[in-house]
Amino acid sequence: MTTLNKTMMKTASAAVLAVCSVGSALAEPKTNMLHQWHSGANAAAINVLGEMYEKAGGQWKQTAIPGHTSNTIARLRADVISGTPPAAVQLKGPEIGEWAKTGLTANLNDLAAKENWEVVVAPELVAVMKPHGEWVAAPMNIHRIDWMWASKSAMDKAGASELPKTWDEFNEIAAKMAAEGVIPVAHGGQDWIDGTLFEVVVQGISTDLFRKAFIELDLDALQGAEMIAAFDQLRKMVGWMDPAFPGRGWEEPLNMMAKGEAGFYFHGDWAIGTMNAAGYTYGEDYLCAGAPMNNGKPGYILNSDSVVFFEQKDPEYIEGQALLASTIMTPEFQKVFNVAKGSIPARMDVELGDEFNPCQQQNIVDLRAAAEAGTVVRSMAHNMAVPEKFRKAMFTVISEFITSDMSSQDAAKKMAEAVINEY
Amino acid sequence: MTDIDTLPDFNRKKPFDGKKFAGRVVVYTILIVVGLFAVMPLAVILLNSLRFNADILRESFIGWPSRITFENWDVAWGSACINASCTGVKPYFVASMLMVVPATIISTAVGLINGFALTKWKMPFASVVFVCITIGVFLPPQVVLLPWAIALSWLGLSKSLAGLVLVHVIQGTCFTTLFCRNYLINLPNDLIKAARIDGAGFFRTFWKIVVPLSPPIIIVTIIWQFTFIWNEFLFAVTFSSSDFRPITAALMSLNADDTGVSEYGFGSAAVLIAAIPPLVIYFFGGRYFVRGLTQGAVK
Amino acid sequence: MQSSEYMPEFKSRPKSRSARIAQLVPTAVLLPTMIATGIYIFVFVGWNIYLSLSNSTLLPMYDFAGFDAYTRLWRNPRWTTGVRNLAVFGTLYIILSVFVGVLLAILMDQRVKGENFLRSIFLYPIAISFVVTGTTWQWILNPSTGLEKFFHDLGWTSFEFSLITNRETALYAVVLAAVWHASGFVMVMVLAALRGVDHDVVKAGKIDGAGMFKIYRRIILPSIWPVMISVLIILLQFAIKTFDLVLALTHGGPGISTTFPAIFVYDRLFAAGELAQGAAAAVWLMIGLFVVLLPVITLGWVVRRQKKGSGHD
Repeated sequence: MTTLNKTMMKTASAAVLAVCSVGSALAEPKTNMLHQWHSGANAAAINVLGEMYEKAGGQWKQTAIPGHTSNTIARLRADVISGTPPAAVQLKGPEIGEWAKTGLTANLNDLAAKENWEVVVAPELVAVMKPHGEWVAAPMNIHRIDWMWASKSAMDKAGASELPKTWDEFNEIAAKMAAEGVIPVAHGGQDWIDGTLFEVVVQGISTDLFRKAFIELDLDALQGAEMIAAFDQLRKMVGWMDPAFPGRGWEEPLNMMAKGEAGFYFHGDWAIGTMNAAGYTYGEDYLCAGAPMNNGKPGYILNSDSVVFFEQKDPEYIEGQALLASTIMTPEFQKVFNVAKGSIPARMDVELGDEFNPCQQQNIVDLRAAAEAGTVVRSMAHNMAVPEKFRKAMFTVISEFITSDMSSQDAAKKMAEAVINEY
Repeated sequence: MTDIDTLPDFNRKKPFDGKKFAGRVVVYTILIVVGLFAVMPLAVILLNSLRFNADILRESFIGWPSRITFENWDVAWGSACINASCTGVKPYFVASMLMVVPATIISTAVGLINGFALTKWKMPFASVVFVCITIGVFLPPQVVLLPWAIALSWLGLSKSLAGLVLVHVIQGTCFTTLFCRNYLINLPNDLIKAARIDGAGFFRTFWKIVVPLSPPIIIVTIIWQFTFIWNEFLFAVTFSSSDFRPITAALMSLNADDTGVSEYGFGSAAVLIAAIPPLVIYFFGGRYFVRGLTQGAVK
Repeated sequence: MQSSEYMPEFKSRPKSRSARIAQLVPTAVLLPTMIATGIYIFVFVGWNIYLSLSNSTLLPMYDFAGFDAYTRLWRNPRWTTGVRNLAVFGTLYIILSVFVGVLLAILMDQRVKGENFLRSIFLYPIAISFVVTGTTWQWILNPSTGLEKFFHDLGWTSFEFSLITNRETALYAVVLAAVWHASGFVMVMVLAALRGVDHDVVKAGKIDGAGMFKIYRRIILPSIWPVMISVLIILLQFAIKTFDLVLALTHGGPGISTTFPAIFVYDRLFAAGELAQGAAAAVWLMIGLFVVLLPVITLGWVVRRQKKGSGHD
């Protein structure tokens, strides 16, 4: 039995090798990318990268780590410590800069200059990809966090024809939904879902507050009047959630919204992949718009996936890194990858075709408008703004607030305390 | 060995006894109630494995299938997309087997022989060894992960089957030694003494006396090692390569809650497929839970 | 029952060279285990302690930074809540699992029909990984998907079951799922021990006219105490390592009401890239463990001493 299996495996791997080595030159570019996109639309998207990489003449391998992001980081750390850092790894936000500081990452300056990354990449991302003045990462996409998903049937029940633009309008419609027996706000019970909701509220209260509190960790802003106002709005929304939200993942609330059991859901655009899989359609089941902004300006909370390269000794892998970075930055890849993932390209010079969902089309329009208005911020809840320890500390307060009857004043004070304690 | 009158059957000779009958009713009632409680989650998983994923997403996680499909099992085994490649759990299943079987056998054998040495022979520092082994049982996997990474790279076993087997044998030996030592300490010493007087050495005594008396604890140890190693995730995913990955990496990919679409239908089927090998062991290992082991051996 | 009784005689009169070599065999057999686990335990733990005193963040650094990491985590509510939860959870989990496991083992020992089938039914939960255990119980316990919805659909609309969504009670949901997972394994361990019990002892009790439960309580259960220690150690290590189960079941919530120390350790070590702090938390865990374990080990020692004493009489 085992011998049989071994033989089978040998034959299989021999076949794979044969396929891969067809038509290859001697110094073949190779790569092995470590990432966490193990399932569903994410996996489909990353496999597109593999195909394009092979078409470009490279030998593609991937190590997909399932489960929490920390599993991927654990693997990365173990690999680096044991002297075999991955050729390419999916990393994001300030972590890119942290790893670049170790001096183990590869420099992409030449390639970036050759391909003009400085110009084509969305300006908000450039600072993240070249944290200390050197390009060390290639961006794959832009996810928008501050999406408001609304159930069409719930909107009809509430007699609302237009999606709310400010939090006051939102509160009005939500109250009507509650009167009609619809759960106004769908919510999940994990700290990052709580954090996502709250950062959307904060951005809606004031972009300035978001920047000061969530990016600069300004203690006055963290416990100021605007922060208290944001918690007040969050408290209203908690009142509109059904009591069963704790422990839920992020998909269940999405389904509640799309089925019409709940009115609104605030969540990132990877939701599009799930709604496609479950067969919901835009316009009939759900609607989408940027979350309410009190100042009337367009808002945008940005999240981006990117790939970092670690220095290699094997010339085949070094060559493979340049090829991979180059493949990631091609407009074709940026298009195909993001259709599946629900996000939009990190290059601003890519036209979105019909293959993109209407919400994605809206996404790029909103991004341009927000960039002009100066209201684009990097997501705190999705590891784009501050180191993980601060994020976790703020999550603690936000989650405690949502699940208890803590006052907004106390919550704001605790936000500042939590941040101080981590210094 | 089997027809010896053992403990529970106190009233065997009496034809009918109301009290005994009532006792039986109580025994079976408790067993059945607890059994139903134990089975409930299995029923949920089993039903979900027969439902379409779209139905589960749209209807509810718990529910009677509105339409039944057996496709999930097929897909989960051979073609579900796991960890970004559409292989089903099959290669993971094979890899897990290749890892679990040697690791279980080696650690069980080592544990039994250690237990014998620790309890039936005068050893210097026997209790010190025991305390150390107990500490080993408690080391959280997160804490030893990075040291293991360094150790495996020194040994040249990074990301290999042999490396994973080594990790599980060393960690497992702490558990197996603990189990076997605490079982064997209860074996009557007269048996060992008798063998010694007959001139039997360490290994002969072990093989002729200890092994035949140990089936229940061997089964317990195998159950523990097999299921623990089979279900271990962190090491499995950190110390494996993309060509060789244990089944938990697949289960996690199908069942973990992340920002990807969850495949509840395949996921449930995969969970059940993964549970089959341990269940087979539980069921067929059960026959070694024989009553009256020592009694037979003494005579 | 005890080793010392017959050993000295064997040891004091080594007849020949071969006999002396034979005496070395058990030590030689144990040696590989001693070396391997010695490295595993002392070197790995030592490395961890070293790390906790360094200023490591993303990757291990080996320069001394003092005890700062040890004190600052006591200001972190995730850590203090986790420690409190572990104490409550650990106590309930161990007591309930032992109670259910021993009860089942005794019942299974009554020559029940279909023993093999029943044993497998009680035991299968341990074959289900913690992630799946947590996810499935989450479905069952969550009011919007599980039992509450089930009874509402049946027409019993006043039925309320909010164990998992209530901050005060969510920890008990974790206990429930964990007891479900472990009590079958406790049952087989105890059953294995029951099957190994020396039957002359039982017969003697029977002749004395003792009832069944008295025999179990007075004679059989005390005689299998070493296995009970194995059981306690196994449950205690499960409790300390509680991680996946909670993440899948409650994700540490509502709020942080069901967070656990192992989650904190993992977050610090891997997600946050604060190796020194994570290592310090792990050292605190081990110190706590030692404090809990010390009485158990001493108890074992005392019992053995007493037995030895009575054996010589």
